[in-house]
Amino acid sequence: MKHDKIERNIGLMLVLILLAISIGGLVEIVPLFFIKDTVEVVKTADGKEMVRPYTPLEQRGRDIYIREGCYLCHSQMIRPFRDESLRYGHYSLAAESKYDHPFQWGSKRTGPDLARVGGKYSNDWHVKHLIAPRGMVEGSVMPNYPWLMSPLDTSDIAARMKALRTVGVPYSDGEEEYQRNVQTFGEDVAKTLRIENAEDNLKEQAQFGNYDGNKSDVTEMDAVVAYLQVLGTMVDFKQFDDDYFATFR
Amino acid sequence: MATTNVVTGGQYNYDVVRKFTIMTLVWGVVGMLVGVYIASELAYPFLNLDIPYITFGRLRPVHTGAVIFGFGGSALFATSYYIVQRTCQTRLFCSGLASFTFWGWQLIIVLAALGDVLGFSQGREYAEMAWPTDLLIAVVWVSYAVVYIGTVMKRKEPHIYVANWFYLAFILATALLHIFNNLAVPFSLTGSYSLFSGAQDAMTQWWYGHNAVGFFLTAAFLGMMYYFVPKQAGRPIYSYRLSIIHFWALIFLYMWAGTHHLHWTAIPDWTSTLAATFSIMLLLPSWGGMINGIMTLSGAWDKLRTDPIIRFMIVSLSFYGMSTFEGPMMSLKDVNALSHYTDWTIGHVHSGALGWVAMISFGALYHLIPRLWNTRIHSEKLINVHFWLATIGILLYIVPMWISGIMQGLMWRAFDDFGNLQYGFIETVIEMHRYYVFRALGGGVFLLGMVVMCYNMIVTIRSGNTRAAA
Amino acid sequence: MEWLMWFTHFENTKPLALVIFFTVFCAVLFYVFGSDRRSQRLESYKDIPFLDEHQDAKGN
Repeated sequence: MKHDKIERNIGLMLVLILLAISIGGLVEIVPLFFIKDTVEVVKTADGKEMVRPYTPLEQRGRDIYIREGCYLCHSQMIRPFRDESLRYGHYSLAAESKYDHPFQWGSKRTGPDLARVGGKYSNDWHVKHLIAPRGMVEGSVMPNYPWLMSPLDTSDIAARMKALRTVGVPYSDGEEEYQRNVQTFGEDVAKTLRIENAEDNLKEQAQFGNYDGNKSDVTEMDAVVAYLQVLGTMVDFKQFDDDYFATFR
Repeated sequence: MATTNVVTGGQYNYDVVRKFTIMTLVWGVVGMLVGVYIASELAYPFLNLDIPYITFGRLRPVHTGAVIFGFGGSALFATSYYIVQRTCQTRLFCSGLASFTFWGWQLIIVLAALGDVLGFSQGREYAEMAWPTDLLIAVVWVSYAVVYIGTVMKRKEPHIYVANWFYLAFILATALLHIFNNLAVPFSLTGSYSLFSGAQDAMTQWWYGHNAVGFFLTAAFLGMMYYFVPKQAGRPIYSYRLSIIHFWALIFLYMWAGTHHLHWTAIPDWTSTLAATFSIMLLLPSWGGMINGIMTLSGAWDKLRTDPIIRFMIVSLSFYGMSTFEGPMMSLKDVNALSHYTDWTIGHVHSGALGWVAMISFGALYHLIPRLWNTRIHSEKLINVHFWLATIGILLYIVPMWISGIMQGLMWRAFDDFGNLQYGFIETVIEMHRYYVFRALGGGVFLLGMVVMCYNMIVTIRSGNTRAAA
Repeated sequence: MEWLMWFTHFENTKPLALVIFFTVFCAVLFYVFGSDRRSQRLESYKDIPFLDEHQDAKGN
């Protein structure tokens, strides 16, 4: 009379339901956190990590990308098909989104994939396109984003980086962590990851990079374009054999 | 078999059921209206009007939030509170807490919509709400579980009727999914970064996303089906034993299938294969539910002609059967290679959401409302009008989405004689235009049906009273 | 005790899981359809939604 008990005993039923619904998730998700091969090893010849955390400006651009819901129409995940590699480039690696909190792989391509959009168009093109997409691409259904030309709020960048550091992104807080980043990523990158200098770094990159065509102020456009221009550019695929990455799948 | 305990109407708490019922109608209209608007934005992008708050990217989560959690959620609260009282023959446990779940849940829907519009998105599909809203959801959900389980515990009928099993699984699974998918570290009152990143985050999100469909939009609505179809048909469910088997199989198998949303992406192959296998197996318990519902009517098919409410239920079960066939098919890796990232997915979702979830809810509400307000339906004819508007609306929606999805998928992978890509991306977008127009039209027709229902129900409710069963 | 080591190998989890889940499934099937008396009892529960019919008739 065992099922009879379940039918009558609410406690037992709840336990069994929990058991039934937990197994699937446990088996599929938990191993990913422990199996080394989930995320590829991507290093330069001298042992530096190619995939680095976003600079403060890029990270703010990413925040705006999420704020505007870009992921609802653009994927960032190139699949290993011939047409996709011709259209977008090398298929995406897990390593390339290992500092993405949250991931932005997307599920719909109303617009094209953006995983390797970095470097494909000029800053100027991006600015014009974001302000009035149909001015650059006839027939596009993308909304205009003229308000991206407004000033970027840079005041909370340190708080944001601290939160990211808590969830595992190696932004450095203090000299010791900075030195570790120098080891891992090299000095140039490590400098951009210092939380102490976050706001200065952000402004400097915006002014030096001049993403929005106006050096004098830091706009949301600076951040978004800086983010778009780094997408998919961190891994130099020329340094690897074709089948190297297949071993991780 | 237990002796019949006759509980007088006054012993049931219908107050909270009535409130949720009304909000189901309200959120239905709001959510579908937003849906029609964003569908129109895709067809005519000038409708974004250069206003940040109403761009497609910000309104889309408003649409999904309002229809899934507002419309679907309120319908589930209303029906679950009704069913658990009637099948357990006892009054709802802790009325105060039940009332809190009502006000809390409505506040959540409003906060979620405001957050989406203002740009406080977490960037996770169907879980865009900022972390304070997430916390509130957790509190309301635990209260819901306490009310529901508390009611089951003080039941007068020794056996727990199967509809309640589905609701219990839905309550537990939703709690589990919500908590793990929303683990995050805040940096301000409105912003946070997810605990997981990249591939692990993707797995967690689609474990959530898929099972939100599995438990919120399937298991719970099956619970609704297991009560209202027999009641409306006036005959018991076809096979109680089948319901037991397919219940356990369904809740077990569903949780494995989420990864089919990530085929061909940067996750290990074995998870993909495993998910596809379980997705195929999932067809069996899904169809178990459909067969059980439809066979309940065997021998009473004439009701299909005479009772428009039954017609809603049968059509919803048919759409359920169809989308649970389409789903496993799309989870095959080769089919998925074509269908993923296209409108086919959107069409599939809506054949489930409009065809199954909304239609079964309409049927349940038409059954429920006259009983809650002690009256008769104002107009059977208008139910019929609603039925046809809804059915035509769905077809006008999903057929263009199938065509546009498959067409775009094929255009993306088309090569010319020299082995180059035949179409630039924008050419495929331009090709989509006419289908987007039809889709918006289909959504509009469906919405019109919803408005007809609201009118019919407002008149019905006004003619009724709540005193006898207060 | 040597045979216990079989369970510790990662690649053996698949057949193991298959056996466990399939057995459980068969047990449920057997339980539900196995005996006539139990079948009758289970099927009698389908009338639960109709137990409140009296009060509906009275116009509640």
